[in-house]
Amino acid sequence: MIHVVESLDPAVVKMDIRDLNVYYGSFHAIKNASLEVADRKVTALIGPSGCGKSTFIRALNRMHDLTPEARVTGTVSLDGTNIYDQSVDPVVVRHRVGMVFQRPNPFPKSIFENVVYGPKTHGERNRNELMACAERSLRRAALWDEVKDRLFKSALDLSGGQQQRLCIARVLAVEPEVILMDEPASALDPIATSKIEDLIGELKKDYTVVIVTHSMQQAARISDLTAFFLLGELIEVGTTSDIFTRPKDRRTEDYITGRYG
Amino acid sequence: MSEATLSLEAVRARSARGVRARRAADRLATGLLWTAAISVVLLLAFFVGYIFYLGVGAISWQFLTAPPSEVSAGGGIGPEIYNSFYILILTLIFTAPIAISAGIYLQEYAKPGAFRSLVQFSAESLATVPSIVMGLFGLLVFVYYFGWHFSALGGALTLTILNLPALMRVSQEALASVPSTLREASMALGATKWTTITRAVLPSAVGPLTTGIVLIAGRIFGETAALIYTAGVSVAAGKGAYDLSPFRPAETLAVHVWYTHAESVVPDVARIGNGSALVLLAMVLLFNVGARIVGRFLTIRFTGKA
Amino acid sequence: MALASPGRLHAAAVRAHRTEFVARTLLRAASAFVVFAIVALIVYLASEGTKLFTHDHVSPLLFLFSPTFNPDANAPGSLVFIVGSLAITLFAILVGGPFGIAVGVFLSELAPRGVVAAMKPAIEVLVGIPSVVYGWIGLTLLVPLIRTVTGSNGFGLLAAGVVLSVMILPTVITLSEDALRAVPGSLREGSLAMGATRWQTIWNVLLPAAGSGLTVALILGIARAIGETMAVQLVIGNAAVLPSGLLSPAAALPTEIVMDMSGAQQGSLLSHALFSMALLLLLIAMALILAVRFALRKRM
Repeated sequence: MIHVVESLDPAVVKMDIRDLNVYYGSFHAIKNASLEVADRKVTALIGPSGCGKSTFIRALNRMHDLTPEARVTGTVSLDGTNIYDQSVDPVVVRHRVGMVFQRPNPFPKSIFENVVYGPKTHGERNRNELMACAERSLRRAALWDEVKDRLFKSALDLSGGQQQRLCIARVLAVEPEVILMDEPASALDPIATSKIEDLIGELKKDYTVVIVTHSMQQAARISDLTAFFLLGELIEVGTTSDIFTRPKDRRTEDYITGRYG
Repeated sequence: MSEATLSLEAVRARSARGVRARRAADRLATGLLWTAAISVVLLLAFFVGYIFYLGVGAISWQFLTAPPSEVSAGGGIGPEIYNSFYILILTLIFTAPIAISAGIYLQEYAKPGAFRSLVQFSAESLATVPSIVMGLFGLLVFVYYFGWHFSALGGALTLTILNLPALMRVSQEALASVPSTLREASMALGATKWTTITRAVLPSAVGPLTTGIVLIAGRIFGETAALIYTAGVSVAAGKGAYDLSPFRPAETLAVHVWYTHAESVVPDVARIGNGSALVLLAMVLLFNVGARIVGRFLTIRFTGKA
Repeated sequence: MALASPGRLHAAAVRAHRTEFVARTLLRAASAFVVFAIVALIVYLASEGTKLFTHDHVSPLLFLFSPTFNPDANAPGSLVFIVGSLAITLFAILVGGPFGIAVGVFLSELAPRGVVAAMKPAIEVLVGIPSVVYGWIGLTLLVPLIRTVTGSNGFGLLAAGVVLSVMILPTVITLSEDALRAVPGSLREGSLAMGATRWQTIWNVLLPAAGSGLTVALILGIARAIGETMAVQLVIGNAAVLPSGLLSPAAALPTEIVMDMSGAQQGSLLSHALFSMALLLLLIAMALILAVRFALRKRM
């Protein structure tokens, strides 16, 4: 049973997840989760480790297609179309729904090549277009000033925080509508983390963000809506202030107050 | 009473003797193992040094470029060196696309099942076939059945089949050395599997892949048994020895070492054999050393680091 | 911005999927070729290798067990070669096997990282040395040495056995080292924590635990030895007689093939006999593969 504070106005629902179940072999990882993701808002997914937050978010861009033992049932609708529909191309889905991973994973190529990887694979050849795209994406990821003089040097020379912002720029370069972030700052130091958090605050003006975080304080700082997961079930979802000050479910309250975690 | 004589000191003394004995055995074993390891290195150094010592007197520009002689002294190995490289390049041209493709398929695409097991078993089987047997297969197919008689092409195709498993293994290991996070990142950006392989995985795998190819090239260069009855033991006379056509007998340097001793009637067998062995060994060593250097260079060039 | 327009994106995706399909098909074809190659090899060799029995009506029992190799009299008994092969292989595995495992143990358990890194290229070079070069060293150094020490003419099983022992070392070393490294560290720690010395740990715990891997190392060493042609041919003496001792000149299956094939007319009895020997070698090789699979399946 999930408690939803109020059902969102359909006009602002970007992704509508209904009765999502994810199985790894016989292990039932996500149990009947339903969630509405609001357009141009930050939705945080919180819960103790192993509760399925990462599994849930990977269902939103069909990353489970890459795992042979994984099975997904239910619907995940993007602007009204179920992305798991037979006629939908996962390649196109991942263009519209981008993902940033927990550990920065830049390709062992130059900064420029990393950023334009997406557009290049989607067919863009024009050098000027690519340069413009790279600058745009790096600016939006708040990285341009730091790398503009070494665009063609290896991305692996950047610091951890810079690499993660590069990964964000890489995602922005394909012009997604939704950005999924799986604990994007957990491998970073506090200063780099706060830069990422500021960046998310800027990004939500143009993009829908869904972020998995193991830090309640981070969720409280940056998200508009919060969903609480426990053992594969979505327990409660609501505005961040409501979840943290007036949780409806006892389990949510226990987690918030630190009974377990 | 007898139990009382088993005092604590006696037990401790016996245990101490046991410990001393075990420690002595440990030291002896350690010494033996170190000796074994050092002997292997010394053996290698000795072999290399010995061949160099034997053959260095035979090396001259004339030796390296002149054609072999059938009956008189003074023959050289020029055409044989040419044929060794010719067959090497031809073999790699055939082996690389097939083996790397199969390696990519097994490593990146194939789901566990009948086809995958069949391919892997076939590769294992091919790897265990003795090279002389492979040579006889080549004789049957290329020399007899296709009617090519002894030919460089027949030799190269035989060596291709011989080396498929090795290059497949090298490809698979090179691909496995690329972390899966790279593939994830690429797929999450909307790339297909093949695009991910060509644009993200292979560039990172280029270093170990090249090292492996060059090492295999060294083995191809030294191959003998599979070539004797496919590419033959002779070279054409005069300028014809440096023919670009693959349809002609092509004795390689390695085969020449054997042929000189086994069948040749020239009076300076020892000199030619020593010199050929030296050149052969020197080339193989070059391949070995070059493999690492090229591999490291390519890794840095294509990935910018490590 | 042009990039995001749905039409362009869909077109690019369609192209990418088409490339994917073509690529996947080609990769599959290459993999199928590998299967085709071994099947063709088996079929061709089985066909030619049984002509001795089907066309020339030589009895397989004669071929396998008669000690007289006389193809001109329709009596190509290959026992001498089979015995020769078995003898030198046995020698190689008895000498090179323990030696190789010892070095494998050294690399896995004793050697500091720098020594391991230094020895790896050395072993790689040993693998790379062509068989004819090993044979040449045997011919010019080992055979005269045996001659002066024992008074025999130097060629024979001993020379071939020694050469083979050295040649299988890299195979046995590398596979033994891998097998030992695969043993979990917890076994080592447990043994040492009970007060056992390092050697006791190796002998009582690690070697048994790595048993199946070490067996595979030895089996593949045998496979290498039994198929080796050039090095053996240069030192074994090439006498088609049953060896009477380590110092007697002998012959092995691969060496007989390489020696007599040049004089064998296509389709002659001698040629068929040699192909039957090749088929025998192929069957032995396949049996060894099955032995490896069996050894690995027994792994706990």
